[in-house]
Amino acid sequence: MWYEIFKFEIKYRAKRPDTYIYFAIVFLFSLIAVNFIFEKGLNPVKENAPYVIAFTMAVVTAIFTMITSMIMGVAALRDFDHNMESLMFINPIKKKDYLLGRFLGSFVVLLFIYSGLLLGIMLGEFMPWRDTDNMLTFNLWHYLQPFLYLVIPNLFCGGVIFFISGALSRKLIVVYTQGIIFFVLYQITAMLTKGRIDAPFFVTALDPFSFQTINTIVRFWTTTERNLTMVPMDGLLLYNRLIWVIIGIVVFIVGAYKFSFNVVRDKGSKKKSKAFKNKEKKSLQEDIEIPKVNIRHDIKANFIQLKHHTFFYLRSILKEGSFLAIVLCGIGIIFINSIDLGNIFGVNSYPSTYLVIEELQEMSMFFFLILLVFYSGELIWKERDVKLNLIHDSLPISDFINLTGKFLGLLLMYLILIVVLIVSGIVFQISKGYYQVDLVNYTVGFFGEIFPFLMLFSFISFFFQTICNHKYIGHLMVLIFFIVTLALLILGFNHGLYSFGGGDLGTYSDMNGYGHFPLSYSLFKVYWIAICMLIFIITVVFSVRGTETQLKKRLKLGQLRLNSSLIKLGTVAMFIFITTGCYIFYNTNILNTHFSTSTKETYKANYEKTLKRYEYLPQPKIVDVNLKVELYPKERNYTAEGYFILKNKHNTNIKEIHIQKLANDDVVLEDVYFNRGVSISNEFEEFSYYVYTLDQPLVPGDSLKMEFKQTYTTKGFEGDNQSNTQIVYNGTFFNNDHFPTLGYNKSYELKDNNTRRDYGLSPRITKAKIDDPKELMNGRSGGDGYKINFEMVIGTEADQTAITSGTLKKEWIEGDRKYFHYKMDTPMINFYAVVSARYEVKKDQWIPKNDSLGDPVDLEIYYHKGHEYNLDRMMKSMKASFDYFSTNFSPYQDHQMRIMEFPRYETFAQSFPSTVPFSEAIGFMMDIDDEKDVDMTFYITAHELAHQWWGLQLVAANVEGRHMILESLAQYSALMVMKQVYSEEKIQQFLKGELERYLSGRTSERKKELPLALVEGQQYIHYGKGALNLYAFQDYISEEKVNLALRRFIRDWNGFNGQLQTDRYATTADLLGYFREVTPDHLQYIIMDLFETITLYENKTTEARYTTISKDQYRVNLTLDAVKYRIDSLGVEKSISINDWVDIGIYADGKNGKDKLIYLKKHKITNQITQLELTVNQKPTKAGIDPKYKLIDRKTKNNVLSFSE
Amino acid sequence: MNSLNITNLSKTYANGVKALNNVSLEIPTGMFGLLGPNGAGKSTLMRTIATLQEADEGTITLGDLDVLTQKNEVRKVLGYLPQEFGLYPKVSPELLLNHLAVLKGITNKKERREMVKALLHKTNLYDHRKKNLGGFSGGMKQRFGIAQALLSNPKLVIVDEPTAGLDPAERNRFYNVLSELGENTIVILSTHIVDDVKELCPNMAIINQGEVLLKGNPTKTIEKIEGKVYQKTIKKNELEMYKQEYKVIAEKLLQGKPVIHVLSDHNPGNDFIPIEADLNDVYFSQIFG
Repeated sequence: MWYEIFKFEIKYRAKRPDTYIYFAIVFLFSLIAVNFIFEKGLNPVKENAPYVIAFTMAVVTAIFTMITSMIMGVAALRDFDHNMESLMFINPIKKKDYLLGRFLGSFVVLLFIYSGLLLGIMLGEFMPWRDTDNMLTFNLWHYLQPFLYLVIPNLFCGGVIFFISGALSRKLIVVYTQGIIFFVLYQITAMLTKGRIDAPFFVTALDPFSFQTINTIVRFWTTTERNLTMVPMDGLLLYNRLIWVIIGIVVFIVGAYKFSFNVVRDKGSKKKSKAFKNKEKKSLQEDIEIPKVNIRHDIKANFIQLKHHTFFYLRSILKEGSFLAIVLCGIGIIFINSIDLGNIFGVNSYPSTYLVIEELQEMSMFFFLILLVFYSGELIWKERDVKLNLIHDSLPISDFINLTGKFLGLLLMYLILIVVLIVSGIVFQISKGYYQVDLVNYTVGFFGEIFPFLMLFSFISFFFQTICNHKYIGHLMVLIFFIVTLALLILGFNHGLYSFGGGDLGTYSDMNGYGHFPLSYSLFKVYWIAICMLIFIITVVFSVRGTETQLKKRLKLGQLRLNSSLIKLGTVAMFIFITTGCYIFYNTNILNTHFSTSTKETYKANYEKTLKRYEYLPQPKIVDVNLKVELYPKERNYTAEGYFILKNKHNTNIKEIHIQKLANDDVVLEDVYFNRGVSISNEFEEFSYYVYTLDQPLVPGDSLKMEFKQTYTTKGFEGDNQSNTQIVYNGTFFNNDHFPTLGYNKSYELKDNNTRRDYGLSPRITKAKIDDPKELMNGRSGGDGYKINFEMVIGTEADQTAITSGTLKKEWIEGDRKYFHYKMDTPMINFYAVVSARYEVKKDQWIPKNDSLGDPVDLEIYYHKGHEYNLDRMMKSMKASFDYFSTNFSPYQDHQMRIMEFPRYETFAQSFPSTVPFSEAIGFMMDIDDEKDVDMTFYITAHELAHQWWGLQLVAANVEGRHMILESLAQYSALMVMKQVYSEEKIQQFLKGELERYLSGRTSERKKELPLALVEGQQYIHYGKGALNLYAFQDYISEEKVNLALRRFIRDWNGFNGQLQTDRYATTADLLGYFREVTPDHLQYIIMDLFETITLYENKTTEARYTTISKDQYRVNLTLDAVKYRIDSLGVEKSISINDWVDIGIYADGKNGKDKLIYLKKHKITNQITQLELTVNQKPTKAGIDPKYKLIDRKTKNNVLSFSE
Repeated sequence: MNSLNITNLSKTYANGVKALNNVSLEIPTGMFGLLGPNGAGKSTLMRTIATLQEADEGTITLGDLDVLTQKNEVRKVLGYLPQEFGLYPKVSPELLLNHLAVLKGITNKKERREMVKALLHKTNLYDHRKKNLGGFSGGMKQRFGIAQALLSNPKLVIVDEPTAGLDPAERNRFYNVLSELGENTIVILSTHIVDDVKELCPNMAIINQGEVLLKGNPTKTIEKIEGKVYQKTIKKNELEMYKQEYKVIAEKLLQGKPVIHVLSDHNPGNDFIPIEADLNDVYFSQIFG
């Protein structure tokens, strides 16, 4: 019997067009899925690597959960929808047969639809836009395996849940809600695994789409592994799949048991209808007269109707059980997630209003979109769904009022939720003890950002629901519209005039508020709302009323609806659309230049093609900078006037001076004068590159003066994401990149190698080889300076403080402007920042412990009022840093150190001579709990201060390994300072984060991982591995010896007064020489392991036993398993023989439940398996190899084992 | 309001079914019965008059209004009860009536309340006014339907097969409400039940397969065949024979035995008994004659 039903189901579906529409959608999307999901490119992981295919399939299945729910949910629902249930269920079919037949039939159809995924993604491999260089050869099994293991179980489990919920609830919206629960589960797992090196097993096992499961498995896979290995169907993934298949089966059985054929099955309603019958007594009022009423159809009546209509629909949404379910899910998610508020380096920030808003926006968006898509469909179809439409359609209410009422009802629903979100945000802030609730910020964030977004997409949703005249296709169209909008943005079609709903409100900052963004933002929104009004009018014209549904007929009918008020509205909308559109265009494209991604790329490619030949053309060096900078923050302008002294440091004559003006239309380089006869060539004007030919060449050692005046003028406003955030109302921060540079500027080159190939450029050499003779002479990438003397006068608005490097010589007021005169007492590198804002200042002084450590240093922190939280930590860090660095490395070169806060448009801190601009997003707003957090403010401050030595005293050559000298040594230095103040556990906690950074960073390496000493600028290497390995290094050879080596290094290579007066800058080859000098013979091997090669370990303890000898004597027996890996030059990981000194540690119970290390000693490990017998004097609890993870190990959990007696 | 004039109205559906074929009717105020078997095109005609469907050809005017283009003007004076309809299950009749009343333009709150109350009484739904519509029986639903159709003192009331599924008592109550509508109202009642028209309508039309077969006053149309209808009780197997020999306009069962009516200008003899003609005979003579 079930087979008949099964056959019927398939036949029925085979005739339905939606089956093929769904297939086509899945197929077409799968064709581009890989490129869509990995839009940033995968290189060097191949685009059809097994892991990529598996992940793509999982994502596509998740995206199209909606189709699964439509196919499966409807299977059992259909009879109820079409009032067929009475006819169906009186037939002599068994419940089991009915359900099984329907389910299997629909499931087969579902498999057919998803075969589009398999076919699409396979065919996608051969699409013309795919690049065979980025592909492996086709392998069918790479596609089949994940389809069988990932997609089919997902479909099965999802299918069962949708099918059963449809059969039991008989309501589609309940089916949809199940889909949301899937996503909620996924989000929870995503959240719980985010950035965790050891995600709990149950979390990864529970992810219904198995994204996290796959990610956890491949987490530390390197490129080679990703290209070669299939995601193994064992362990975690197997459990995950089993769990979900079992859940599916259980749901089916329970659901089948609960399912009943009764047509009326709700006991409650049965009782009710009985009660009805009893009460049916005649209250004979039938002879009552029908009163006369006034029927009004004037404007006022229209308003009353609209209001009434709006609230009627609002109420109808709010009453839906599903609405409540979605909202509760959303609030639950938000609540769980907000724990991680503003997490930077593992430390949460204070719940400032903007952070709470950003978090709420991100979290609620998904739920808002669900509500938008579902309920716009529900509202459009409300009358037709209950067949009230004929009555409703014959009412004397205009289609415009009818649709507007529905639309406003939807908007009111958003408003209510927004108010709920705001209130919960405030409650959250207060519950954290934070009382600076900024209501304006809340209002703008929600009513200014989220609400217009929802409104615009609601217009679109109404439009599609009307035009398609099919609810589910309408849902899908909105989804596709949304995806296409995103895809276009990603593809670089980014102008707010054609990117749907464009307009950019920038980033909120306490310092600069919303800055200059609100004007352009609101214009863009008005523009889009006008467009959507026009779309809405089209929607009204085409809306279905009565029984005619053909588009042609509707158009004919619609013409009748175009009454004068609709035409007036349309005219007004059209007028607003055209005027705002023109005005925006005038600003973004005429006053300013709009760069699409491709024009920008073309420009960069042409720059390189035309000018690369000048890269090593000898140019003089800047040795003297003297500028007067006038800042006009309100206008977002500046002028700079003054001179550079240029000196020929080469041993050849210089005939041409090449000046690169900043390639920005707002910057005008007005007058350039040399104190020599020159002739100028404008041949490269389009690149803002000017060649000055000297009448008399500049002979070696000779210098000349270059005077110039430069202006920066902000004109109107710019398009999305193109507006400058460096020169702003409050919190200006730019560096000397703004001023003219000499010669070819490498930083303009295209960086992505795939893009470069598209423009016919060879792959870019990120860093020159460590022995490249030209770059060894180059101290800073693109640096034009050499031991410059620096002097600057900055003028700014009277209530702002302007800061740059050097001693403040003078400060005065002139009219409504304030001036600051800075002069550097000693030469410095050519690297300085100009900062200006309304600042508060905290001052202190560092007094050296003895004279040999140098002069006292004035310490100043310029901060935004209200951001006082961590000033003491910064101050403490500065003092500790000066203590440590001047004692262990060399004296500090200047007399002041200033930290200046700048707006959170960028999130970094950067060290300039005697100044450190420090983003408000890091450090200042961290809510550091000394119990559980690492004091990152302290750490970052120490790190930046360390750069006053590593980078500003010791200048590293611009070759491989440069960042090890600059960043890894700064990491090491900061760690050592932290060690002075904080406990060993805090250091461990910090290093664990760095281990995670390194291990996950190396998996997304796009070229080839390099050893630390040859790093090209990969952060995971020079920050992550740098901190780990230098820490391990000092653990092996002692902190004193490392510092001794560094002291010698800086003594010899100091860029200003180093003992080695060479004409080149330092490299890691030099540094490692100093390291070797201080390393004992038996440990020399670690220099190779830590710095010169990529070495990893797989250390574990396989057995740990102890026997009690006496009360204070315990014999410990350990079996250890240690494997050492080396990555060879091809990037292949190979195990090598081990002959290393490794920590062995034994723990006992310590105070307040914490572990106490009672034994820690390095043992020489020479075999993979090692048996050890040790004696300790306390009862041990656990023990193992490398318990503090000093060696890089991808599985740290198994290093230590608890004892069995 | 004057009369409703339908001129040469035709409609063919996309699937080729010719629902209306050159229909012309003049419908004066008062009750007008539209009689025809299922599928005759009654509902199509009603929906077209109710502004919900387009015609391929022809015109409909209501007084000065062109029904096919001035839809919203027509809707202002229209009360419509479709043949099949549903109601929001989770809403009470009072609330929904109130809602519809606003949309019909009764924007004065007090008037609206009075009207809703009166109609709830009228349709005997007052006691159930707070219940959810989801629990309503077919009869209650139908009564609600008529209540909403009368909300705005309509000048044109269209009720499509209103009595289908109602028990006799409910049907009577329904008729009472309809017949009370003032003399200034055009009420079009479509039905396939001859008695409905007989009891209520001074004017009627019979329509089948999209064409108007007969229009006029029921009594007058009966007069036309008065004295021409004969009846005979026959055996089952004789039916075909009689059909060939006589103009059989109706066949029914009386206590299990077939009884036929024939139309004849003179007494056919052969045990046929002359009977008094009624509207049924008119109807069947048009449909099968």
